[in-house]
Amino acid sequence: MTSAARERRRFILLMLAPATVLLAGLTIVPFLASVAFSLTDYNLTAPGETDFSGLGNYLALFSSAEFWNAARVTAVFTILAVTLQLVLGVGIAALLHHETRGVPLLRLVYLLPMAITPVAAVFTFRMMFNPSLGVLNYLVRLFGLPPQDWLGTPGMALASLIAVDTWQWAPFILLIAAGGLAAIDEEPLEAAKMDGAGPVRLFFDHTLPMLFPFLAVAITFRAIDAFKTFDIIFVLTNGGPGIATRTLNLLAYKQGIEFLAMGYAAALAIVMLLVTIVASQTFLRRARLFKPKAQL
Amino acid sequence: MSVSAPALAPLGPGRRFGRALAPWARRLVLWLFALWCLFPLYWLVSMSLKRQVDAVARVPRFLFQPIADNYAQVLASGEVWGYFANSLIVATATTVVALLIGVPTAYVLARYRFRGNADYGFWILSTRMTPPVAMLIPFFVLYVRTGLMDTYVGLTVAHVAINLSIVVWLMKGFFEDLPGELEEAAFMDGATPFQAFRQVALPVALPGIAAVAILCFLFSWNEFLFTLVLSEDIRTVPVGLYTFVGYQQVRWGELSASSVLMLAPVLAFVFVFQKQLVRGLTLGATK
Repeated sequence: MTSAARERRRFILLMLAPATVLLAGLTIVPFLASVAFSLTDYNLTAPGETDFSGLGNYLALFSSAEFWNAARVTAVFTILAVTLQLVLGVGIAALLHHETRGVPLLRLVYLLPMAITPVAAVFTFRMMFNPSLGVLNYLVRLFGLPPQDWLGTPGMALASLIAVDTWQWAPFILLIAAGGLAAIDEEPLEAAKMDGAGPVRLFFDHTLPMLFPFLAVAITFRAIDAFKTFDIIFVLTNGGPGIATRTLNLLAYKQGIEFLAMGYAAALAIVMLLVTIVASQTFLRRARLFKPKAQL
Repeated sequence: MSVSAPALAPLGPGRRFGRALAPWARRLVLWLFALWCLFPLYWLVSMSLKRQVDAVARVPRFLFQPIADNYAQVLASGEVWGYFANSLIVATATTVVALLIGVPTAYVLARYRFRGNADYGFWILSTRMTPPVAMLIPFFVLYVRTGLMDTYVGLTVAHVAINLSIVVWLMKGFFEDLPGELEEAAFMDGATPFQAFRQVALPVALPGIAAVAILCFLFSWNEFLFTLVLSEDIRTVPVGLYTFVGYQQVRWGELSASSVLMLAPVLAFVFVFQKQLVRGLTLGATK
């Protein structure tokens, strides 16, 4: 090995070292600890009486109704929220692409929901959702509809949470889709237009397929984040009414942080982690995000 | 399919499928969506300027005599200042540490070809995907045991762990956008890799570093779950707000005023650094 190559190698290792050590310490070690906890009946209320319990926590988890309920709520929340955000985000991005007036202002306004402190936004929604004093029921009555208990009935509570999540994150898909539209090669579109394709057909036959690589990234990020949503649900319903909006994430929080049943909560966290890894590996690797553009 | 008359559509580049809607209809939809995005924020600000009777009026009052009492009360009670100071300390420390560690990593990933580069990049990003509870539970146990609970150091460590992946990922994108010729020229002149990084690449990357710093600060400022669990006494802005509501359920005016005050730095960031925010919030998917 030449001295230059040795120096290059030493440089790479040195530059990567701090982040590697830190991330290993802060993610791999906790992960291994979680795996270890999950194989015991570790409870912080009685830490001295911890015993190895094998796959006991996992078996208890998979045979409990609360787990399957949480899994169902999480799936419904994630699928509906992301679908809604996708339709809204892509639709608005397509319209924005053709707009000529006020675009900078519109983009600024669209950015606000995802930038502002979620807890502050969620409190505003809590005031707005208030059944007797909230502005939403006032508006609903204005249109001659019956007032709703937005967060108090199971189906409606989940729908309200999906609406708030959509308020916050539809702009995420919108921004990525808008970036994708701006980057699309317009020549095939031109040709198709010459052949007489209408605007709607053009969009579905040509623009949408070209937009797909961008949307794949957007959907993956969004789905993974929706899967682990915490702030909105915790502050608005805390999983209620009953357990109607208790997602896997909230269940893990309740078991681990409130009941201090670390073993059980860790098992749940590991299950969530596996779901996330499978999802992100499947979609992100394919989205070609990881082509290194190394030069030196 | 009939052949359409191209003469009917004298549209410039980039304005094709929007023809499905008339311009006025398109504009209406776009502004309705803007209204939907803005309404909660408008409502929060208007609540913060209302007297209690206006705030809880059965028919919501869109026109009212604005007052500053809520702000005066909140600022006089002093709690908000504490939250502000805590958030400022934690977010600043997080940003500094995350950048010191993340920028060199990002540079190497962007500029050097070596085996495992892509895998390393994926590993970094995958830590961003991890469900927070998977990290939170061991953190909680560790903090309870070691006394890191309720310390600035503990909170900063947790926030760095959450944000480092984002810092590396975004910074890598910024370095990739910079031309490599400057460094190549430096190598010709006999510079070491470290000198090329320090004296050539870093100064050029400063705008990117600034953008990532802003984002890191913002994410730390907004973080709720880890701060809630890992600290009781050191309350940052979101956690302070959350506990505030605990005992002030119906004092909507003061609650709103506190929220607006806590959002002020965030809003300032949004107005000044809009472009960088878009890039950061979409994780570099838009450039």
